[in-house]
Amino acid sequence: MVMIQFVNGLMEGMTLFLIASGLTLIFGVSRIINFAHGSLYMLGAFLTYELVPLIAPGTLLGFFASVIIGAAVVSLIGVVFEVTALRRIYHADGLMQLIVTIALVLIIRDVVRMVWGPNSITVPMPDALMGAIVVGENYFPMFPIVVFAAGLVIVLAMIWVIYFTRAGILLRAGTDDRGMAALLGINERLIFTSVFAAGAFLAGLAGGLSAPYGEVNHLLDTTVIVSAFIVCVIGGLGNLYGALAGALVVGVTKAMGVMYFPRLSMVLIFLIMAAVLIGRSLGRQGGSAR
Amino acid sequence: MTETAHPTRLSRRWSSLPGIDINWKLVIPALVLAEIINRSMGTSTTTLLTEILIFALFATSLNLLMSFGHMVSFGHSAYFGLGAYGFTLGVVKAGLPVEAAVFLGPLVAALGGLVFGALCVRLTEIYFAMLTLACAQITYTVLFQWYDFTGGDTGITGFMAPRFGLSEQGFASLTLVVVTLSIFALWWIVRSPLGLSIRAAGQDRFRAEALGLTVRRVQLSAFVIAAFFAGIAGTLHAVLNGAAFPDYAGLSLTLDSLIMVVLGGLNSFSGGIWGAIVYKLLGAFVPSFIHEWELVLGIILLAIVLTMPKGFAGLIARLGLDRKGAK
Repeated sequence: MVMIQFVNGLMEGMTLFLIASGLTLIFGVSRIINFAHGSLYMLGAFLTYELVPLIAPGTLLGFFASVIIGAAVVSLIGVVFEVTALRRIYHADGLMQLIVTIALVLIIRDVVRMVWGPNSITVPMPDALMGAIVVGENYFPMFPIVVFAAGLVIVLAMIWVIYFTRAGILLRAGTDDRGMAALLGINERLIFTSVFAAGAFLAGLAGGLSAPYGEVNHLLDTTVIVSAFIVCVIGGLGNLYGALAGALVVGVTKAMGVMYFPRLSMVLIFLIMAAVLIGRSLGRQGGSAR
Repeated sequence: MTETAHPTRLSRRWSSLPGIDINWKLVIPALVLAEIINRSMGTSTTTLLTEILIFALFATSLNLLMSFGHMVSFGHSAYFGLGAYGFTLGVVKAGLPVEAAVFLGPLVAALGGLVFGALCVRLTEIYFAMLTLACAQITYTVLFQWYDFTGGDTGITGFMAPRFGLSEQGFASLTLVVVTLSIFALWWIVRSPLGLSIRAAGQDRFRAEALGLTVRRVQLSAFVIAAFFAGIAGTLHAVLNGAAFPDYAGLSLTLDSLIMVVLGGLNSFSGGIWGAIVYKLLGAFVPSFIHEWELVLGIILLAIVLTMPKGFAGLIARLGLDRKGAK
């Protein structure tokens, strides 16, 4: 039981990381907190639900293909939103940007409710991932392990893109000093749009990957975005490795906490966050405040 | 507003800042009109009026943080919920008489604001927003999951006659008085030296610190004050329904309050009031035409932010109704 929950926690941590990393990347270049990131995650889950029966149902390849296509559609939606709304207010007050993303949350939630109804749906799990791996006396459910592994592959791919490709150089330049990057002739708008697209893609992936494991409904957006925010606070915004560590800690704590303190697992995470924050602000004055 | 009896230099200069003056020619007729509407229309209008009043106070308390302290709280519903539960649990668990428990609600909310605020003001801007959100979600989760104490997701009902057993009209009048007094108190705080400090800390925290302000302490004071008044709103709402539900501390209420402030207009004291009026009226009438209310709201928000970033208060100021409000 302990091991099962641990594996579940790892999987939840990995999906949280995929969401939080998108948040972090977008924040890094544009200083915008995308409140609608949880909604993009939710859209990814629903699109996977639509695609799974169409593309080789039941097979592993079909599942991953549906997840990726779903994420690509989510990414496209993100780009449309960025170009039509967000781009116009990059230089406005930060609050205005938050409000615009909240507007997107409301719109997506109602559209999802219109299209898929208010009840939870279940996404079928690919047959190959139904079972469990038995090691000695321990059962490790297959699905969370595979999702975790897929997440690891994505993490490695992200590191490769960010540190070893031209796109990654542009991204880091934009994050470090956006004015300087613009002076050097880098197309700022293109960076913003592509980072938003990438972030939305990651959120869509996370939604699709975790869709078969648990309920999918129109209330998913807020629960997910709150957890992702906590991950960002623990890991530090703009810090990819911090986000990974924070996400795994939150995921595992949540899953293990449910066993021992079923009613207080969120409180446990809050305590971790409070400890991190206090520790950080004791360490250097102001801490992550700036 | 005309000069009061002995204006100091400070308050005179302060009162000339936009968005802080009270236009008595607008406020007094509005209060009278509210009471006339209350007495002459049906029960449903009265209930709507009561809700608008309660949310006007709630949004104004958030507006103190947002417009003057430039602290974007994403968890203001926590203090609404704490107010409601402080009152309710005071009656149910502590056995207090209802009349005494109403004072407990705002105090519990202020205490919650002190605890969470002490943590939150260590951070700024976006981290502050995220942490306030997390604090509110914790409050919500505890209210939602702690069945033995808070009744869990079913909330606490049936412990008192709704509205103290007053008629709808009677309670609306009472709410009108309480809310008006509370908003005047908030207005007085904004104009006080503390309000000036809050505004200074909001505009430029480093300059404020260089001038000798302890910015964190000022921000914490603002946070506790805002929590206290949100607690009054929460208590009123719990009395109105004779019940308390975990949703009072939920994210949707936070979003409601944020939307109200933005709808009404940032950087103006009256923003929260206008926002509550517009938002609640829209919420009362739009769903009867279009089922997808949130969709409509999202589009309205997008349109407002992209076209008139000053909100309805800015519009009203532009029309010249809010004296001195516009330049």
